[in-house]
Amino acid sequence: MPCPNEIMSIPLKLQEIVDDFAGLSREEKIETLIAYAESLPPLPARFAEERAKMEPIPECMTPVFLFGEKQADGGIIFHFDIPPQSPTVQGLANILATGLNGCTPQEILAVPPDFYHTMNLQEAITQQRINGFMGVLAHMKQTAVNLMDK
Amino acid sequence: MSYAHPEYLVETEWVANHLTDPTIRIIESDEDALLYAMGHIEGAVQVDWFSTLQHPLRRDFMTREQFEEMCSKFGITNNTIVIFYGDKSNWFACYALWLFQYYGHNNVKIMNGGRIKWEQEKRPLVKDVPSYARTTYRAKEADKSIRAFRDDIFQQIEKKKPMVDVRSPKEYTGEMLHMPNYPQEGATRGGHIPGAVSIPWSQAVNEADATFKTPEELAALYKGKNIKADGEIIAYCRIGERSSLTWFVLKYLLGYPNVKNYDGSWTEWGNLVDAPIEK
Repeated sequence: MPCPNEIMSIPLKLQEIVDDFAGLSREEKIETLIAYAESLPPLPARFAEERAKMEPIPECMTPVFLFGEKQADGGIIFHFDIPPQSPTVQGLANILATGLNGCTPQEILAVPPDFYHTMNLQEAITQQRINGFMGVLAHMKQTAVNLMDK
Repeated sequence: MSYAHPEYLVETEWVANHLTDPTIRIIESDEDALLYAMGHIEGAVQVDWFSTLQHPLRRDFMTREQFEEMCSKFGITNNTIVIFYGDKSNWFACYALWLFQYYGHNNVKIMNGGRIKWEQEKRPLVKDVPSYARTTYRAKEADKSIRAFRDDIFQQIEKKKPMVDVRSPKEYTGEMLHMPNYPQEGATRGGHIPGAVSIPWSQAVNEADATFKTPEELAALYKGKNIKADGEIIAYCRIGERSSLTWFVLKYLLGYPNVKNYDGSWTEWGNLVDAPIEK
C-alpha cells in the first residue's frame, strides 16, 4: 500500500505560499495573514442569486460560502463570501484560493489535509483557528468533486 | 426594573470618553484574534482566550502566577477598573472577565455591545499596540465559587439542582456533536447533562447591536425556564465561553447570587466515561 505522502502533492503556487510563511516572524505572519484577509475579493454579483438560496451555518460558526467555476481548460476558480468579522477565516480562504485557483479537481483532491503544518502559523494564531484550513479545504475538495464531471 | 448590578456594564459612549483615564485598562478578547491587529480601541491591550488565558500544558487556565505576570505587564494594579470588549456579542470578553473574577479582580466591566456596536457607531480603531509601566500585581486565591468541575455536576444531577445548557438547540438534542470545522472541540457522545434546560446564550443579547436585552426580557427568559434567583445554578456550553456570557447575565444583570460556569462543558462531559447523558 502506498504511503499517503506518495499519492498526495501540493501544487507549486500553494507550496510557495507555505514556504514563504515558514520564514516569517510572528509579526510578519500576522501582517501577511491580514493582507490576505483584506485582499479577499468580494463575491462576484453573478453568484448573488445562488448565494441567497444557501442556508447559513447556525450558531458560532463563521459562515463560509464558496463557489467553484470550471474553466475551459478544466481548472477551477474559487469565489468566497466570508464576513469581515472573521479575518482569520478570510485570510486562510484567500491563501487557499490563491494557491489553488486554476488547479484541476484531481490536483485539488491531492492536497494533503495537513499541508499547512510547515507554515508555523501556531506562533501567530490559535491552533483551533488554524484548523479552519482543514474545513475550508474540505469544502473546496467537495466542490471540486461536484465539478469533476461537468 | 433595572439590571441588578449595572456597575458591571459600561456603554460605548462612556468608554469613548475615558480612553486616557489612568484608572482604567481596556482589554480586547476576541474569538478571532486577528481583529485586534487590524484595529482596536485606543489604549486597549489584547488577551487571546487560548494562547493567553489557557495553561500551556494542562487543560486548565493560566496559573495564579501567570495571571499576576500578565496583569503586571499590562500595568494593571489591584485597583484598576478593567473593561472588557470583544467580537461575537462579547463571548470571549465575558470569558476573560470571568477569569479575572476567578483570580479575585472584582473591579471589572463589560462594554455593552462590544466590537460590533463600537464599529456600528463608527468609532475610531487604531493599530498602535500600547505599552504601560509595569506594576506588581497580586492575585487572590482562585474563587472556586464561580467555577464548576465535573464532580460538582454529578452532585448537581443527584440533588436535582438547576443547570442551563446554553448551546444551540441541535447541540442540546445531540443531533450535532460539534460545530462543523471545529473537530477538536467535539465530543464522542451527543446530548445534554440530565436535568439541564436549554436556553441558548443568544437569547440574552440583541442580534442587531450585540447589547444585552432589557432586565424585563432577561428575567422573563430565565424565570420562564425555572432558572430562578434562589437556585444554585450551573451554566455550560461546549468549551465554557458561551456559558461565560450566560453566567455574566445571571450573576450581574439579574443578580442571582449563586451561579457557576462549568468550563469543562460538553467537551469534557461528552467524553467522560460513565457520565449520564440525556437526549
